[in-house]
Amino acid sequence: MKMQRKKTEVSIPVMAMGDIAFLLLIFFVILAKATDDSHVKWEPAESADLDSTTYSPASVAIDNENRTWLNGKEIGHAQLADAVKDIISSVPDPKQRVVLLKVHREATATYFEPVIEAVSEAGGKLVHVLEREQAGKQ
Amino acid sequence: MKLKRSSLMIEMPSSAVSDVVFILIVFFLVCASVQPDKGRAQEIPNKDEKEQKEEQSQNIEVALTRAGATVNGEPMTDDRFEAAIRRALEEKKRQEDKVVIVKSREDVPYHRWITMTGLIEKAGGIITLELEEEQTTIVE
Repeated sequence: MKMQRKKTEVSIPVMAMGDIAFLLLIFFVILAKATDDSHVKWEPAESADLDSTTYSPASVAIDNENRTWLNGKEIGHAQLADAVKDIISSVPDPKQRVVLLKVHREATATYFEPVIEAVSEAGGKLVHVLEREQAGKQ
Repeated sequence: MKLKRSSLMIEMPSSAVSDVVFILIVFFLVCASVQPDKGRAQEIPNKDEKEQKEEQSQNIEVALTRAGATVNGEPMTDDRFEAAIRRALEEKKRQEDKVVIVKSREDVPYHRWITMTGLIEKAGGIITLELEEEQTTIVE
């Protein structure tokens, strides 16, 4: 005796496709964020006059242990100028060659001045990433 | 005669709530990560420009220490600093003369450097750094 197989109709839920596509889009947008230095531990200095920063191909950070990072990778002062130059040279407009500088507020001149010098030497437009000064804060 | 209202049971589609919550979480995460940083642009002349500008005139020199500052060798309190720079720059008419050479001691913290260079820029100065060079002294 033959047993009849139960036939089930399989269909792709078309309604969910839009949701999946949307989630994938967001996922890739986040991945496309080129410079991820969220693991670098630093505390910004304060200033009263601040502007919003624009897109920047390079981000240099000095963390709370005075280590220097370029786009999330640790780098020495000697290699910094050339490495920054390599990155920003891909930007055709010299005005758009912005280099974000994220320096821990307690880092001393020994560590941040050579970095500023290197960015300047590479031809980068320096932008210090800072925090807005709060009224009454000393 | 009174008409009976038909009572409809309205239920929230509970299976969709988790989807909505998930989408909202993703939305706020993206918003938080895309938020631009706040900052201050700074024009630092590169080496060649710096040498050219320094040759052309006698520039103002600022020396920064952890707690104090000097303008052209004269000790200055932080309150009088901006006014002193402004006064010194008033005499300079050409743009290339407005270069202020900033020399910082090794132990000057970044937050102080940012405050002081901010005051120089506010007064109309163009910052140039002078790095301390390592010197070897032989003591006999």
